[in-house]
Amino acid sequence: MTTQSILKELINKKIISGHQAEAIRSFETNKAFSVHWELRSILFLGILLFSSGIGVLIYENIDTIGHQAIIAAIAILTIVCFWYVFRNSLPYQHSELKNTNKFASYVLLLGCTTFLALEGYLQFQYEIFGIKYGLAVLIPTILFFFSAYRFDHTGVLSMAITGLASWVGLTIAPLSVLTKNDFTDQKLVWSAIILGTLLALTGWLSDSKEIKKHFSFTYLFLGGNLALIASLIGSFRGEPQIVFQFAGLLFSVFYILTARRSQSLVFLLMGVVTAYIIVSYMLAKLLGEALAMTLATLYFTFSSIGVILFLLKYKKFLGIKR
Amino acid sequence: MIKAYNNTWVTNLYIRETAAGWVSKNLLTTEQEAQIQKAFPEHFYRPGIFVTIGLFFFASIACSFFAGFLSLFFLDGFSDGAFGIFSIICAIAFLAALEFVIRDRKLFHSGIDNALLYAAVGAVISSFFLIIEGERPWLYCFLSLFILVPALLRYADLLLAAVTYFTAAALIALILTESALGKALLPFAFMIFSFLSYMLVSRSTSIYYHKCQQILEVLSLATLYLAGNYFVVREGNALLNDLPASTQVAFAYLFYFFTAAIPIAYICLGLKKYNRVLFVTGLLALGASIVTYRTYFLQLTISQELTLAGTFLIIVAVLAIRYLKNPKKGISDEPEAKRKFAYLEAIVAAEVLGQAPQENGIQFGEGNFGGGGAGEAY
Repeated sequence: MTTQSILKELINKKIISGHQAEAIRSFETNKAFSVHWELRSILFLGILLFSSGIGVLIYENIDTIGHQAIIAAIAILTIVCFWYVFRNSLPYQHSELKNTNKFASYVLLLGCTTFLALEGYLQFQYEIFGIKYGLAVLIPTILFFFSAYRFDHTGVLSMAITGLASWVGLTIAPLSVLTKNDFTDQKLVWSAIILGTLLALTGWLSDSKEIKKHFSFTYLFLGGNLALIASLIGSFRGEPQIVFQFAGLLFSVFYILTARRSQSLVFLLMGVVTAYIIVSYMLAKLLGEALAMTLATLYFTFSSIGVILFLLKYKKFLGIKR
Repeated sequence: MIKAYNNTWVTNLYIRETAAGWVSKNLLTTEQEAQIQKAFPEHFYRPGIFVTIGLFFFASIACSFFAGFLSLFFLDGFSDGAFGIFSIICAIAFLAALEFVIRDRKLFHSGIDNALLYAAVGAVISSFFLIIEGERPWLYCFLSLFILVPALLRYADLLLAAVTYFTAAALIALILTESALGKALLPFAFMIFSFLSYMLVSRSTSIYYHKCQQILEVLSLATLYLAGNYFVVREGNALLNDLPASTQVAFAYLFYFFTAAIPIAYICLGLKKYNRVLFVTGLLALGASIVTYRTYFLQLTISQELTLAGTFLIIVAVLAIRYLKNPKKGISDEPEAKRKFAYLEAIVAAEVLGQAPQENGIQFGEGNFGGGGAGEAY
């Protein structure tokens, strides 16, 4: 089935006129082939490869003459990047900025990654911050938060949040929250919950106060992920368990409400899955091990039927029409 | 009836999607879209991707529990023959359930039907393996095709399309590797096979198989490239002949040429024919080719390579974006209209043009469209 035959069908059903069909046909034949996303992907991949290459390149060439040159080149590149972004930026506003400059956001990303490489190296080689490692992490975080808000860049915002988390001693990247964090340390669980709460609150506020509303998802997603997983772990291992369980359920409710507000399936899943695990665990504890084992098959059969029914009805719950 | 899903609905779905694309480019009015929805109905149950995954997961669990339950009756006579019969009974049950959910529940690739289809096909094929024992491997591939191809034609499933393609490819590979001459000709045989399958598949104009067509095109192009890729040929040669280390292969220059020429051909053809499958496959293949050449001809540390490659990619992308500031030779750098902005565009258009929709939408006359419409979208 081609454009031609679809248009013919539409004319036959008297939905469009022959005139309009001709207009659509000429639009379809004359429209250009867009390579927009392919080029953007290449550019992004290039920045990714370049910054990961240069980050190691510095350390490889220590004690050679080329070394100083590389450092200088990176420093100049970073400065040029930020200078370019400043020159081509629009004035700050609370709503989303539509920068017409095609390169600004990518240049900012490049500048931020090279800054990170440079700063890490300077600390390693010259210990410019001495033994205050916290300061070494905090400086790029502050710069990134500033850049994210000033130049309206969600990618840099998530870099900033990552920096903030590592300043507290946590890994926040969605896939490595569980693997890279040492949650046997109760203190870390608490800081994860507190940081997650703060991030989630920031996300909620930025949505309701309409300050960079489109940043809200990043805050909510990264913060929520951290807080939910930390409170889950606390529910199993923490002391006192009930506090963590209560916190986890509160988070779940918060995320289910958020999901309804923003019609987001991701938040709904995050909230429901956590709540399901915590409630199941609490029930099993309450009933005692022997009784729980016997009822387990029944419980899981019926609760998974419940999950299927819920999945079939989720649109109504989120209030999505259609 | 060869097609399991309602073919008219599948066609209507395609018409609706095309029309929605035109609406987002202001070529049709929303009133016309409503008319189209009425004139071309479809009542498939199609949930979003997350729900589909969830349904697939739970349906798979249900299938395996059902098979486990059924196997209780076969426990005493646990010979391969009995197991073969058990598989066939399972397959019949899964097929019946599959036909039921498609016809009655109106599912359309929505998780449950996918799971049932895979379970049924898997059960039939495993019964082959159990009943016919100790034959050459290629015979199993050959027999499997007799199940896979009809199933693919009836259900037009994506995974099934990929599996069918790989089974056919494995059949060729297994037959050829039985002789020394066959081993030597393997790359060429694969290239011919891939080329023929691309030619065959790309000719299809059926909407029912549209998605399968795309995936088969990608796979054909990928195997055509990989069969000519120097790295694959050299290492494959070493693997097939049990060589301790890979050595230079015969006709090496031919394969150097293929490694470089095929991706460039894909990219050029893709741009010329406005074919995104060819273009993107070509880009990925080009990346693979660079890695291939690097493996044998370049001696740099990994960080130097990354830095160089990154610099190169950035420069290429920036130059291309600057060059395409205005569309050139039918290629542009404008983003395709995204679904996200569809509302916004529609609102703005309604605000600016301020048209009251007339019957048959004549207001999109030549002058109006030629200026405003084209300027809006591109």
